[in-house]
Amino acid sequence: MVELLVIIGIIVLVGLFVAMLYNRLVAGKNQVENGWSQIDVQLKRRHDLIPNLVEVAKDYMDYEQETLQQVIAARNGAVDAEKSGDREGQIKAEGMLGAALGRFMALAEAYPDLKANQNVANLMEELSGTENKIAFARQFYNDSVLAQNTRVQTFPSNLVANMFRFTLHPYFEVPEEEKAPVKVDLR
Amino acid sequence: MADDTARQVSAEPAASGLKRTDFFAAMRANRRRTTVLCLGLILLGGVLGYVIGLAFEVFTAQDPDFALQAGLRLQSMGGLAAGGFMIVFGTLWTLVALFLGDKIVLGLAGAREVTTDAEPRLHNVVEEMAIAAGLPKPRVYVIETPALNAFATGLKPEKAAIGVTRGLLDTLSRDELQGVIGHEMGHIANDDIVYMTAVGVIVGMVVLISDVGLRSMRFMSFGGRSRSSSSNKGGNGAAIVMLVILLVFLILAPIAAKMLQMAISREREYLADATGVKFTRNPLGLIGALKKIDGSDARFQGAPKAIQHLFITNPFKKFGESAGALFSTHPAISQRIERLQNLG
Repeated sequence: MVELLVIIGIIVLVGLFVAMLYNRLVAGKNQVENGWSQIDVQLKRRHDLIPNLVEVAKDYMDYEQETLQQVIAARNGAVDAEKSGDREGQIKAEGMLGAALGRFMALAEAYPDLKANQNVANLMEELSGTENKIAFARQFYNDSVLAQNTRVQTFPSNLVANMFRFTLHPYFEVPEEEKAPVKVDLR
Repeated sequence: MADDTARQVSAEPAASGLKRTDFFAAMRANRRRTTVLCLGLILLGGVLGYVIGLAFEVFTAQDPDFALQAGLRLQSMGGLAAGGFMIVFGTLWTLVALFLGDKIVLGLAGAREVTTDAEPRLHNVVEEMAIAAGLPKPRVYVIETPALNAFATGLKPEKAAIGVTRGLLDTLSRDELQGVIGHEMGHIANDDIVYMTAVGVIVGMVVLISDVGLRSMRFMSFGGRSRSSSSNKGGNGAAIVMLVILLVFLILAPIAAKMLQMAISREREYLADATGVKFTRNPLGLIGALKKIDGSDARFQGAPKAIQHLFITNPFKKFGESAGALFSTHPAISQRIERLQNLG
């Protein structure tokens, strides 16, 4: 009788422990998803701003058509990647877009006429504000991913994670190219 | 540059000192503290009411023996009635604090809500920090004073408000402003604001009640003496004992309430500094802001005492190195800067 009670007690305790770990994993996953949707909002804003900016810049930057086309191509690639719903592909495409944008912004410095255009100045300000927000959203997302992946990989929550098929989430890495300071050629 | 610091932090989680901070634990602790505070103060209100009621009965009793008995045994119908009244009143006031506290605080601070068009930079910075914290953007308020200060309030993280002074907006660079807003966002994310708002509204009330009690006591003690001159010495002694107990209690109650408020908010400021830097990944911004705030002589006219603990630095006094000392709501700025530099 006593043994039975002890066994039941242990089972209940283990059950409670598993439930606790499970809830923590769900909360972590929700936070990752929330982080991703924050990034998504800002990325959409980025995609909307770029065509307008490039449209105006075309008239000023005669010698940089190639860069402009790269920006547009990267932007379209990012939009396609977003539609496909493949998160890792999207992260890669956005990384390329960020790099192309960085080159474009650096080149634009060499065109005083372009910067003098009020419309362009507004778009640039808006875009750099959005880039800031993307950076902070990415930071929150990566922190959430770090916490969740740690939970999925470490004992004892990894047992529960395996049982209920919690997976690792991809980090939103920035390609080395974007992080490196952009070289401006001053001829 | 944000990326570089971000990489450093994630590369050295142990050395950064940030990962050790368990924000969910902080949030749970804050919820618990809010509950304990509310219940504790309701109880304190009840005890205060009982003591006042008992004293009133002792001093107004016609029969000196009855006064002696009641005074010695500390039993009193008047005390029960007054204590009960205080508990009901305290409960009601706690509910007011928990449902209207943010509005009361914003009103006391004299803060005015500003639109995105009026303050685009401030709004952008607040939005960035909200994104970094993974929370909805708080409402944005400005206090029209040349003093440098900022505060956050609200009854839950999803419905918060951040207020900054005009002087702060005019003086700080964007990075510094981001540091300050990050600190306030840290208070919001750690769920400090509910507790701090409740403390401000409830403790403000305890102080007020004790003041009233103290004043009416003085009045009563004169009345009591003229009557007790004809009574025997025992009744007189009991009355004096009661008077002393009552005075001690009335003086201690608000001090206890204040010390509670202060001891906890110092810890909180350090944690909010760390949380803010976790959001900005740039301790230099907050360090620069704290230095400017410390160096400023602009006075905060009409800053309300009840909510001093909500501000990023104490609006009333400047504290030296010894401000580990008892009565400060905030740690010395030099100590905060030192800790921030260690966050690297």
